[in-house]
Amino acid sequence: MRVIADLDLCQGHGMCEDAAPEVFRVTESADGSYDQVEVLIAKPDAGLRAKVEEAVRFCPNRALSLK
Amino acid sequence: MSDQPRPKIVSGAQPEVGHYEEFMSHAAHFLYRAYQECGELAEFDLFGARHVLMASADAQEAVYRATDEQVSAAAPYQYMVPVFGEGIQYGAPLEIERQQVRFMSDSLRPKRMKTYAQVIAQEVEDYIADWGDEGEREFHDTFKELVLRTSTHCLMGPEFRKRLTGEFGHLFEQLEEAISPEAVINFKSETEAFANRDEARARLQEMLMQAVEERLASTDEPPTDMLQSFLDARYKDGEAMPHELIPGMIIWIMFGGFHTSSNTAAWSCLELARHPEYQREVMAEVDSIYGNGEDLSFASLREMPVTEGFVMETLRLHPPLLTLMRQVVNQPFEYRGNTFEVGTNLVISPYVSHRLPEHFPDPETFNPHRPQPDHLFALIPFGGGKRKCVGNAFAFLQVKSILTALLSRYELSLVDPPETYREVMPSLILRPSDPCNLRYTLRNK
Repeated sequence: MRVIADLDLCQGHGMCEDAAPEVFRVTESADGSYDQVEVLIAKPDAGLRAKVEEAVRFCPNRALSLK
Repeated sequence: MSDQPRPKIVSGAQPEVGHYEEFMSHAAHFLYRAYQECGELAEFDLFGARHVLMASADAQEAVYRATDEQVSAAAPYQYMVPVFGEGIQYGAPLEIERQQVRFMSDSLRPKRMKTYAQVIAQEVEDYIADWGDEGEREFHDTFKELVLRTSTHCLMGPEFRKRLTGEFGHLFEQLEEAISPEAVINFKSETEAFANRDEARARLQEMLMQAVEERLASTDEPPTDMLQSFLDARYKDGEAMPHELIPGMIIWIMFGGFHTSSNTAAWSCLELARHPEYQREVMAEVDSIYGNGEDLSFASLREMPVTEGFVMETLRLHPPLLTLMRQVVNQPFEYRGNTFEVGTNLVISPYVSHRLPEHFPDPETFNPHRPQPDHLFALIPFGGGKRKCVGNAFAFLQVKSILTALLSRYELSLVDPPETYREVMPSLILRPSDPCNLRYTLRNK
């Protein structure tokens, strides 16, 4: 399982961080625009799978995907 | 140059005005015809301004992924500046506007959304509390009133909400009248709508500024609302927004969410009434969550795939916003060998996109079981990319709360013959024809 974030779509809503704080962190962007997701663990282990899937589902912008 | 691909030109242009008259008569139907005649890229002319309808998911993606330095949203939307005010959104420099949208995103974070869910749930329950066992209502105006209550409560807090009168909604109507397609295309002309708009804007500034000053003077613990979020927001240099700009932020976010959400709630109820079989499916899901002793705010925040699918299908067939525009700036914009010169308006139409047969077979059929297309830029009721509607999750929360509360008590049915409910476009927003009368009947549970 690999987590992919499409930053063209991210508006920093933070739903992913709320669902799986181990894997996602929302950080300030350099130009002061929307905060951006940072994927802390690109390949989370199976124990985190349910939380990560929830984060993917809850993103209002479909910015996250799993491969 | 001659073998370079070019968009096809839509037939029927008139001297000087181009396609203006047909566009004005029903913009959605004009754009759909343009796509059917020309395909993916359809060029048309409004008073000498070149427009190209980008009608494929790939073309839409190309525009949505382009940077502000390639395609500008500010250029085609300058007519919004007198509505929101100088110094706000496209009336501010790009680097400021980018930070203002971040303030909006910050005001919609998960912790705040949970508070808004409670506020909305209470408003919706109060609103329908005295509806009785059965009756008929005009659902378009009903939801305008309800969404005005929920939105002002979440935006401005309980004090402002308690004092809410008909005036506030009326002022917003006057602002909306100044963005009819006619006013937008001729936005520099002097018309009564513009004078009314400026008067309404000034009065809103006064009302909202009073609320800002009251909040600043208060020693109570501030409520969790967007007003407070905007007061607490900081630009990256550490500066707060000048207080006199806060009303513009409120008007901006309200403008984005008022008629769009109330229309979507009205369309959803109309589609529920038209399709009793789907209404039963949504009811079953509502009962399984809300009927189980959970409160409404919890139910609305939870995943409700059947209800969400139903609302998404409503948004597919009836996207509130007909077009989303960008203008080519700085240098020509290329898409699949086509070159669009600086100044060309690139038009994305959710209405057309949502009828593309490669993504939505049998597009005119309402089918809430339709799978979401794999292409991320085909289903675009909220736009896409960096400038997608930042309030999309809030909008879903509002509409889900309304449907959940209503359907837990009532069954909805049509009052008038089905063919009399039509899709009309008195402004830039698609809405059900007036009156949108529906009957509600207490359910036998």
